[in-house]
Amino acid sequence: MKLQALHLTNVRKFTHKRASITGIGPGITVVSEANEFGKSTFFDAIHALFFEKYGSSAKPVKSLQPYAGGAVEVAAEIETPQGAFLVEKRFLLRKTARVVRLSDQATIAQDDEAERWISTLLGEAGDGPAGLLWVRQGLLGLEPEGSKEKALLTETRRDLLSSVAGEIDVMTGGRRMDRVMRRLAEDLGEIATKTGRKSGAWKVAADEVATLEVELARLTAQVETLEGALAERKAAETTLARLEDPEARGRRDAALHAAQAAMETARAHAGLVTAARQDRDIAALQTKNAKVELDGFLTAIDKLNTAETAARATAETRRLADAEVTALKATSDVAKESGIAALNAVIQARARLESARRQTDARKAKAEAVRLTAQIVKAQEAQTQRDAARARMKASPATTEWLSRVDAAASDASMRESAHQAQSTILSVVYSGATRIALNGAPVVGEQPVALEGEAHLDLPGIGQMTIRAQAQAADGMDQLAKAKSLLNDLLAVCGAETLLSARSAAAERAEFARQADLAQAVLDTLAPDGIDALIAAKAEATLAAAEAHDEPLAVIADLENGLDQAVADEDRTAQTLRRMAADHALARETAIKAGAVADAAATELDRARSAAGADERRETRRIELLRIDAQTADTLSNAETTLNRLIASAPDLATTKAELQRAADAVEAASRQRAQVAERLAALSAQIRTLAGNGIEERRDEINGQMETALATEARFSRKAGALIRLQAALEAERNAAQETYFGPVQEELKPLLAILHRDAALSFDSENLLPSGLTRGQTEEMIDNLSGGTKEQIAILTRLAFARLFARQGRHMPIVLDDALVYSDDDRIIKMFTALTRVAHDQQIIVFSCRQLAFQDLGGARPMVEITDT
Amino acid sequence: MNKLAALAKENAASHILLAGDTFDQTTPAPTVIRQAMNAMRAAEHVVWILMPGNHDHANATELWRQVVQDAPENVVVLLKPAPHEIVKGAVLLPAPPSERHPGRDLTDWFEGAGTGDALRIGLAHGSVTDFDSSEEGGSSIIPIDRARRAGLAYLGLGDWHGQMPIGTDTWYSGAPEADGFKHATTPAALLVEILSAGAPAKVTSLPTGSITWQRARLDLTEDDDAAALHDRVLPPLAARALTLFDMPVTGRAHALARVALEQATVNVAPDFLWHRTDFSGLGMVHDTDDLDAIDHRGALRAAAETLATEASDTRLAPEVREAAQVALSHLFSYALEA
Repeated sequence: MKLQALHLTNVRKFTHKRASITGIGPGITVVSEANEFGKSTFFDAIHALFFEKYGSSAKPVKSLQPYAGGAVEVAAEIETPQGAFLVEKRFLLRKTARVVRLSDQATIAQDDEAERWISTLLGEAGDGPAGLLWVRQGLLGLEPEGSKEKALLTETRRDLLSSVAGEIDVMTGGRRMDRVMRRLAEDLGEIATKTGRKSGAWKVAADEVATLEVELARLTAQVETLEGALAERKAAETTLARLEDPEARGRRDAALHAAQAAMETARAHAGLVTAARQDRDIAALQTKNAKVELDGFLTAIDKLNTAETAARATAETRRLADAEVTALKATSDVAKESGIAALNAVIQARARLESARRQTDARKAKAEAVRLTAQIVKAQEAQTQRDAARARMKASPATTEWLSRVDAAASDASMRESAHQAQSTILSVVYSGATRIALNGAPVVGEQPVALEGEAHLDLPGIGQMTIRAQAQAADGMDQLAKAKSLLNDLLAVCGAETLLSARSAAAERAEFARQADLAQAVLDTLAPDGIDALIAAKAEATLAAAEAHDEPLAVIADLENGLDQAVADEDRTAQTLRRMAADHALARETAIKAGAVADAAATELDRARSAAGADERRETRRIELLRIDAQTADTLSNAETTLNRLIASAPDLATTKAELQRAADAVEAASRQRAQVAERLAALSAQIRTLAGNGIEERRDEINGQMETALATEARFSRKAGALIRLQAALEAERNAAQETYFGPVQEELKPLLAILHRDAALSFDSENLLPSGLTRGQTEEMIDNLSGGTKEQIAILTRLAFARLFARQGRHMPIVLDDALVYSDDDRIIKMFTALTRVAHDQQIIVFSCRQLAFQDLGGARPMVEITDT
Repeated sequence: MNKLAALAKENAASHILLAGDTFDQTTPAPTVIRQAMNAMRAAEHVVWILMPGNHDHANATELWRQVVQDAPENVVVLLKPAPHEIVKGAVLLPAPPSERHPGRDLTDWFEGAGTGDALRIGLAHGSVTDFDSSEEGGSSIIPIDRARRAGLAYLGLGDWHGQMPIGTDTWYSGAPEADGFKHATTPAALLVEILSAGAPAKVTSLPTGSITWQRARLDLTEDDDAAALHDRVLPPLAARALTLFDMPVTGRAHALARVALEQATVNVAPDFLWHRTDFSGLGMVHDTDDLDAIDHRGALRAAAETLATEASDTRLAPEVREAAQVALSHLFSYALEA
């Protein structure tokens, strides 16, 4: 179907008017008009013409009615393979539909028949391809943008899907497939998670199996323990019976008795051996003793001879040493006497020297006491002078400070006086002769300036009188001069001085008093640096030291010192002699002591040797007796060894006999012990068996086995069911996906060259749920449609529709593409490329473009139809 | 016990012979033994003769020690293969298993046992020689003509839980209460009456079971009316409440027939004390009409064909084929609901 012309009568803004678009081409047709022209009105009107029943008063139809009301009429001239037709509908009032064959103007269908004719034209399913190919203004993207837009776009999407719904449902199973999948998911969800893991009843069954496995293992272990205990008890009872068999017990006892008898025999023989060994050991000991005694006797004889020789020699040595000691002691005694005398001489000489020195010191102290007495008197005089001078000085107020103040006051008064005089009229006369002049009647002294005040009258003898009128002084200067003089006078009065000179004399006098005091103090410091009391104390000490002084003649100390030195030298020599003799004496004594010790030892040894050798008269007899005993004991030893060897050779193997006895005893004891152990074990096993059997564990195990069998069957049943459902799910999804791929394949094929115009190597992926493009892949990156720019989204929306249109055309179903302001966000470059894509498709596809962008769409080319509006 | 005692009293039987496996384990809980002895003690009008079986063999010392300890006067325990005079003129020859799997004929001694002129009755436990298996497989081997060869008026056998005559004078009495679907017979005891030596034993089966274990195999062909066959194997409504019902379904069926049968089993399941069906042995027949019930074309149809092909592909592992078949069965159910 291709549109050739559109006619709207009384539609929206075209109230009581007829708006027509004629000259619509078979390829691209561009209706480029300004806003508010009514492009969307045309779009909505033709949509209503083809998709709304003529009797409808639905919103899409009502929205076409102008405010003034009235019937809405929409007509379209179309071309089909069967020829050209006029399809027209009148809505809302005098509703009708009609199809007119233009070749002969024959009405070929009216009202419901016309609707059927239109449905056949569009296709079986819903809005048909037009819903997929027509794009309303502002609904360019594939995703919602606002609440109202969302609702409208949802409608558009529904149209889009429904345009091919029939085929999709057939291929994918449609809603029936959805219901089957939903039921499948419900059933599977009851026993398994989405990832195929056990849940619900299946998990309960599996958990029960696990729980029962644990319980079964526990019970099986207990049963095995019980069975083991029963088997062990049976074996133990057999063992116990064997142990308690009388015949076996008799054999063990007989063997033990035989072993005990053999052991007794062996022990008796061992006793004989032991006795023989003792005899042999005693004989050996006696032989040894006899030999020792003989050897000792012979040795003692030799030692006696040696000791006698030694005793004699050492006694002589001792005698000589004692004689030497005696001689040395006599010499030493003499030397000691000399030493004592020398020492006494030293003591006496030292006493004399000390006495002389003390006398000398006493005499010096006496002289010192005299000198100190005189010095004390002088010091006391200086002290008296110092105190008198200080008293006078303190009595005079003419201090240096006072004098400084007087000088300052005098200077100030003098300065002020000078200033006064400088401001005064000064009369100064130098007489060359005797004649004198008088001032105000008083003679004027020569060379002494006189200040004139007021009016002065000079009597100039010989000349006459002269009147001088002095300039009056300032009162302030006068007062200050008076104050200065007054201050000077007050200061002078302090010391009773009348002049500056007398003041200075008073100050000089006071200074003299001070100097005298200082001089007396200096004398005092020299005479008594530590004070007069110290001098007095020193004098008392000297007086005391001088108490021993006498007036007798005094020996010369140097002579006494020489005498002492001589006595000391004599004493040293005597002492050295004494020490040398003492050393000689001590050495001699040591030698004598050693000689005595050696002599004593020799004597002792001699005594010991005599004792060992015995009395002289019995020595030979003893030697013969000892030789006989030695021979006799040797014979006894030989006999004892022979006897011992014979007994050892004939002795039974005691170790073997003992081992035999041990083995027999062990066998008896082991049997007894084992009997006790087995009996004890039997008791323990019986207790264990009763405990375990009392719990009915076999019954419980069998019961759990039964439960386990049931649980395993249940778990297996769920497992099989889950496996089957998962298999079914996989099969259904695989077939549905395959169907969707089959569906999208041709669309993709058509879309690919168109998309390449805009984006090289780009591809669109489709959502299998809503059958809309879901992502754009450029290079290695896939972006979701939602995330693309508005321009890209509207371009993809148009290209997708172009691809669908191509697909329909390939199936022989030609439907126009209608775009109402479809390119709003695209930039100029993309718009040009979109024009290229549109032109490419327009080769065998009708495309009607409504646009308000008159300038931008100039480059699109295509047909520019006539738009005519006339009154009705 | 109470049921047996009541039947004995009702039929004036003086002795009840238990041919082994009175206890299922060698070490049952003492309370079980005590309660069993108490029940026997209560039935004082009858003498209970207990012989070990392979489950409670004579070497189960702890068990029999406890039994002997708790046994009342009207209970006789025969642990040894030795003649036992039941009543004057009648001797019982017991062949108690000494272990779980004796592996030999324990009744061998019957032939040489001297009993004088007394009536000889044998009591043994195990399988007869031409018996393909015992309950547990060859617990002992008893000649099928042991009664004749040993001059027994009657040989009572234990081990097989179902009641079964081996000859006129040799019977398995079976367990008085079923414990599985193995045996189709009604659980019962045997009333054995021997009027005199040489006279044939009169054997009467006395039902004792209270719970019915029923296993009904449903073997279908593709032309069968599965629902009708199902109705036929169901027990009467009144009996279902005390029936444990197990129905393995085998053979082949169309998918729609299978779905219908599955639904039918779901509907009747609550009638039973316990109910189980097993469709794992049922093969499916797939034709165009069946698959059309799912869809004529498209993904659902393709999935159904894939699963049908997989289910019938013998090159695949059985579990894979079974999974595909069950999956297809589910697909049928879902498609019919959708």
